[in-house]
Amino acid sequence: MKILIDRNIYSDECISKCVYSLSEVFQCNRQLEGNTESIELVPINGLMPDEDVEKSFLQKLNDYKLRQIVFEETKDIRTILYAKAFADYEDFNIEESE
Amino acid sequence: MKMQYHLLPFDFTRIAGKEILVNEVGDMMVVPEGTTQRIVDRQMEKDDLYKSLVANFFISEDLVPPLLDVYAARLREKKRFMDYFTALHIFVVTLQCNQNCVYCQASSRKEQSEHCTMSYEMMERSVELMFRSPAPVLTMEFQGGEPSLHPKLIRFGIEKAEEKRLVDGREVRYVLCTNCVNLTDEMLDICKQYHVMISTSLDGPAFLHNANRGKTDSYEKVVAGIEKARKALGNEQVSALMTTSVQGLSHPVEIVDEYAKLGFKSLFLRALNPYGLASDNPDWEDYTRKFIDFYKTAFEHILELNKRGIHFAEEFAIIVLRKMLTPFSTGFVDLQSPAGIVNSVLVYNYDGYVYASDESRMLAEKGDYTFQLGSVFDRYEDVVYGDKVRNIAEIWSNEALAGCSDCALKTYCGADPVRNYSTQGDMYGHRPSSLLCKKNKAIIEYLISLIVEREEEVVPIFKTWLL
Repeated sequence: MKILIDRNIYSDECISKCVYSLSEVFQCNRQLEGNTESIELVPINGLMPDEDVEKSFLQKLNDYKLRQIVFEETKDIRTILYAKAFADYEDFNIEESE
Repeated sequence: MKMQYHLLPFDFTRIAGKEILVNEVGDMMVVPEGTTQRIVDRQMEKDDLYKSLVANFFISEDLVPPLLDVYAARLREKKRFMDYFTALHIFVVTLQCNQNCVYCQASSRKEQSEHCTMSYEMMERSVELMFRSPAPVLTMEFQGGEPSLHPKLIRFGIEKAEEKRLVDGREVRYVLCTNCVNLTDEMLDICKQYHVMISTSLDGPAFLHNANRGKTDSYEKVVAGIEKARKALGNEQVSALMTTSVQGLSHPVEIVDEYAKLGFKSLFLRALNPYGLASDNPDWEDYTRKFIDFYKTAFEHILELNKRGIHFAEEFAIIVLRKMLTPFSTGFVDLQSPAGIVNSVLVYNYDGYVYASDESRMLAEKGDYTFQLGSVFDRYEDVVYGDKVRNIAEIWSNEALAGCSDCALKTYCGADPVRNYSTQGDMYGHRPSSLLCKKNKAIIEYLISLIVEREEEVVPIFKTWLL
């Protein structure tokens, strides 16, 4: 089965994550021509699953895109959150203690 | 018109026809499908859902949420186990054993076997290493084989620990993992004197337990041992664990009933680990699939008992639910990120070497010393901060692993480099084909589905388990 993906819509990172998540079931051959990526899904055990593979692939792809948007938009606040949570409190109070 | 708000870090998945949103501290919201898309597209309306998303740190009306410090404090609490560092110290006293379990994960040997028992010198040095750990509460756990075959060595170890404790001032808890088959008065005196908890092993009713042990009278002896220990030490000092053998997979209800009958208040539905004799199991994929069904059947029966007024809990679920429904962290080493190995557990083996976890020393019995961190005679710093641990540390957080980092359930799960290595050949692991991932995911999804579909029925029960 071949699925064509518009790379203007879905990034390499999204597609890679999607392909990784399916790597137990499919061998995936990727080919990029212009802005269109062609993904050939070959079932590892030779049998195509009963489910609608294309629909499921596209849903996963969209989910990874949503996650990527959330990640990109929140990486700064996440860094601040982790710094506040785990930095040694004494480091923040150097001036006060001096 | 698009709404103006800022996203905060969160992930999502779909369970039971709903979208499950999970934020950075593991708070969960059950929302209609398509909500994540609407959140990202700024298509939310200022309704109750919107207010909940703000209140629960999924979105913020300010660039920096006004309560960010509170959120950071909650995140710190969720990872509190990292502050404590290694709290659990396992002492593999001997590999000698008086049973013959079909699934033995510890590669135990016959009672008369030689060269498989810790020396007094190694015990003393191991205690010294344990006290180098900064944890405010230390747990010294005796394992085997069957450690109760060596009461004098255990007494010696505890006395050494007590000497240090009196100077050090820290709390030390003692646990004896024993099959209870031959609990002598000498052993029970030690337990009484030093408040040693007994953790025993019971796989279910007599026919099943005896089949697993390769004996005809093991059940009888274990139950008698449990009674003897309870009389000597008190009921609360004796707990039991089961391991689900291949035969056990067909008897979920009987196993639960057996534990309830013997007066236990909970049960840990534990799957086989692929170590020791258990690693000879021919079909792990089939086992994992059946274990998930086994777990659900046993769990439904446990819920039924609770509905009939019998307080009885399932321990794996308690760990997951504590992560899901409370602000606290758990001390369970198998579901931690960074992983429990070294961070929460160290093993001092009978051979005088220190291992990263119980499973690590089990691998060593098969001739694989990948997780041997050093000798008990090495410097503490070289053992726990050496090159080996530093290499493992690069792949022991599920927040940074392919397949885990994008999983909405990662807060409830953990990283396990040792299991990845033993089952998949490398510590990093491959999540799509990992049976541990499949099992954990299936059980966590099942627990969430119960909350989504049967909230009124199950949540009051879960709350009693979390008290």
